[in-house]
Amino acid sequence: MTDTVLPVEHHAAGRSLGQDAWIRLRRNRAAVASAIVLLLLALAGIVGPWLTPHSYDRIYPQYVRAPASLEAYPKEEAILPAFESALTRARVQIGEVEVSGSTVRAPVSDGEALDPRIVRYIDRSDLFSNARLEDADGNPLAEGASEGVMVADVQRLRFLFGTDANGRDLLSRILIGIRISLAIGVLASAMALLLGVTYGAIAGYLGGRVDNLMMRVVDILYSLPFIFFVILLVVFFGRSFVLIFIAIGCTEWLDMARIVRGQTLTIKRQEYVQAAEALGVSDAGIVRRHIIPNALGPVVVFVTLLVPKAILLESLLSFLGLGVQEPLTSLGLLIAEGASNMRGAAWLLIYPAVTLTAILFALNFLGDGLRDALDPKDR
Amino acid sequence: MDKQSILEVRGLNVEFETNDGVVHAVKGIDLDVKPGEAVAIVGESGSGKSQTTMAMMGLLASNGRARGSARYRGQELIGLSERKLNRVRGEKITMIFQEPMTSLDPLYRIGRQIAEPLIHHRGMSAKAARARVIELLDLVGIPNPERRVDSYPHEMSGGQRQRVMIAMALANDPDVLIADEPTTALDVTIQAQILALLAELQQKLGMAIVFITHDLGIVRRFADRVYVMRSGEVVEEGATETLFGAPKHPYTKMLLAAEPTGRKAAPPAEAQVLLEGRDVEVVFAAGGGWFSRSAGEVRAVDHISVALRQGQTIGIVGESGSGKSTLGRALLRLLPSEGTVRFVGQDISDADKRAMRPLRKELQLVFQDPFGSLSPRMTVGQVVTEGLKVHEPSLPARERDRRAVEALKEVGLDPAMRNRYPHEFSGGQRQRIAIARAMILKPKVVVLDEPTSALDRSVQKQIVDLLRDLQKAHDLSYLFISHDLAVVRAMADHIIVMRQGKIVEEGPTEAIFDNPQEPYTQALMAAAIDGTPFREGVVEA
Repeated sequence: MTDTVLPVEHHAAGRSLGQDAWIRLRRNRAAVASAIVLLLLALAGIVGPWLTPHSYDRIYPQYVRAPASLEAYPKEEAILPAFESALTRARVQIGEVEVSGSTVRAPVSDGEALDPRIVRYIDRSDLFSNARLEDADGNPLAEGASEGVMVADVQRLRFLFGTDANGRDLLSRILIGIRISLAIGVLASAMALLLGVTYGAIAGYLGGRVDNLMMRVVDILYSLPFIFFVILLVVFFGRSFVLIFIAIGCTEWLDMARIVRGQTLTIKRQEYVQAAEALGVSDAGIVRRHIIPNALGPVVVFVTLLVPKAILLESLLSFLGLGVQEPLTSLGLLIAEGASNMRGAAWLLIYPAVTLTAILFALNFLGDGLRDALDPKDR
Repeated sequence: MDKQSILEVRGLNVEFETNDGVVHAVKGIDLDVKPGEAVAIVGESGSGKSQTTMAMMGLLASNGRARGSARYRGQELIGLSERKLNRVRGEKITMIFQEPMTSLDPLYRIGRQIAEPLIHHRGMSAKAARARVIELLDLVGIPNPERRVDSYPHEMSGGQRQRVMIAMALANDPDVLIADEPTTALDVTIQAQILALLAELQQKLGMAIVFITHDLGIVRRFADRVYVMRSGEVVEEGATETLFGAPKHPYTKMLLAAEPTGRKAAPPAEAQVLLEGRDVEVVFAAGGGWFSRSAGEVRAVDHISVALRQGQTIGIVGESGSGKSTLGRALLRLLPSEGTVRFVGQDISDADKRAMRPLRKELQLVFQDPFGSLSPRMTVGQVVTEGLKVHEPSLPARERDRRAVEALKEVGLDPAMRNRYPHEFSGGQRQRIAIARAMILKPKVVVLDEPTSALDRSVQKQIVDLLRDLQKAHDLSYLFISHDLAVVRAMADHIIVMRQGKIVEEGPTEAIFDNPQEPYTQALMAAAIDGTPFREGVVEA
């Protein structure tokens, strides 16, 4: 034997290509920032809807198209007239109305004994709750008294992003929209990934007739118009959430299959695949252990670009009314609604659009960062 | 000899900014080139020999930095503006590169590519440039220059493309021609022709040539003066005669002694025939598709018979395209072929993948490119044990690991490195890993497909020694495929010379080397082994 044991410069544990790429990715500030933004948005989409005080489908008829505001609703100046107009309906004399904190009070009097049922006029309004009649000391009004104080709690609601044309809180709806859009993006991409990688790797590796046949099938599917395909699906199966990501996944895997097939064709010629063949490794083993891991670099990059594409497609479908159903919503649907209310209520368009743009930007930057990190030329 | 230096390099440093810190590729070297002189820069891969000239020409990669001084006729080149530099490079100093396949643009006719610098630098008219191009093509020995001037690069052979590259470099009558491994990618006979052409042109035109190479054989026959470089430094310089006659630096001595030596004795005549191919024929269909029959066919291996005995090494020699690798793969049943192939008497001609699987253990293959033959996503341990998983699936992980350690030790690698990934190893180490992968299965026959061609000379010798030791230890039979005659001579006891899919000549190593019968074999031997210098200008291009 040759007794020279060759030394290697660095003796720490080996660094795989993946780890190398990870280190390069961490150096890319835009990619790291994008990853953080995405993480935060995803977190907001997952836990946000539980934390907001409003449910995404709760309708506040009083606050239709309330503009975005940091202040709580109802506004100070809106309380008095509302309270007065509610009281007038009770047909009693009203004294000075005063608002203190979350209660509003007004002395009321009538020629005869005050009917305790007049509190209903107040409760009927969305603004007030727990209306009651009290005497001057704050005790419940004795029966038959003709003077007292009408007290009611004011429901103070915050709509940070305003409300939509039906009086639903936009923030909650955006949060649920993020959840739905990201879920569709990720699920559809996962489906495309699974189908496309398997199909492309098998077609590329087997080659010849099989490859030819499999790729012609892909070509035929390519030629189907996407919208037409979705409409067909919707007509047959009815609108549902699962259907949307199946529809998107079914069209997006075609690109993936082509990319993976191309990669496989080059990898197949690599000597390490031939070496595996010479070792007697089975076809399945070669595809699993050699072809797919080595094709994964471009695939990962493509996936990060596929997610925004799926989100955009979902937005398109929702915009056309083929996507998510009310009261559930998605960013695309919100933007569609915003667009139709653009003149009077710009916030309905701005907030969902900004959110979607942030997601798409972050995904694209991350994709770019990944591509640079995985690029072997940089090594 | 006391002429003024035309090119004068003093204290040149080249550094590269990489993710793992600054790499110091060239460490303050001095170089002189006198007019009309042939200077060789010799070194192994990574010695900084190419980067030295790249720095002079301002062609460093974007993360590279050059410091120091490089003067052409007194004009400083380092740090010169692009515009001024362009007046020197491409006109006074020109370069030719290793890869004639990639250094010509496939979209343009060669005439136009050569004419471009003429029109640009000299302001020649298109017509005058064309006349000059034809003259140049004639000068570099391209037959029918009037016709070939309108050829596309893909219509020419590798050697012809390299001639075109030389014509391009000569277009503006340069003072200095830098040739960066100009013959490495070419077959030996073509190599000899190109070197002869360069030598002839140098004498005719009186220019200086800076010849960058790793091949000492070429240097000896070509250069006046030699610089030996190692890891960015010049370790020795001197006139070719003195340097080769009395090398001073241990590294130079090592390089000179790196030619594989020794001969292999033939196995006893009664040794069992392990692998036998009779009338093996491999035909590749060219073109064709779904609806059309194939347009034509290429007969890569044309009725060849081989019989490999136990303990024997058959060397298969030939130039690129001669079908030697295809033959090796056909014998291992990795390619469909006609004819009979027997392994230890068993007919495996029609064995499919499944039937071959148990035999794969006995028939192994080692490839040329140690960078391509190891999957970059697997650790060395995984690479080496993959075969065990196929052939001894019941083996517990612990035992597999023990076998991997054993195999790595056997090929001279530290087994502690088995958790690392292939890209962390040098070329020689990777080739050892590839050998370990084959040896762990304890095969009977190993096909070695150019196992040393991608390696530096000194590493080549180590691998040859390793392969010989392994053969002795395990009584292996090798099919050694190579174009490198020096290595084949040291490894094989029987030689087959192939050309265009056919056997030209075959016989014991000594007979083939000492007394070749066929003219083709003679030409091959002359080109590879013959020590006559090119500079006397006797060889015709």
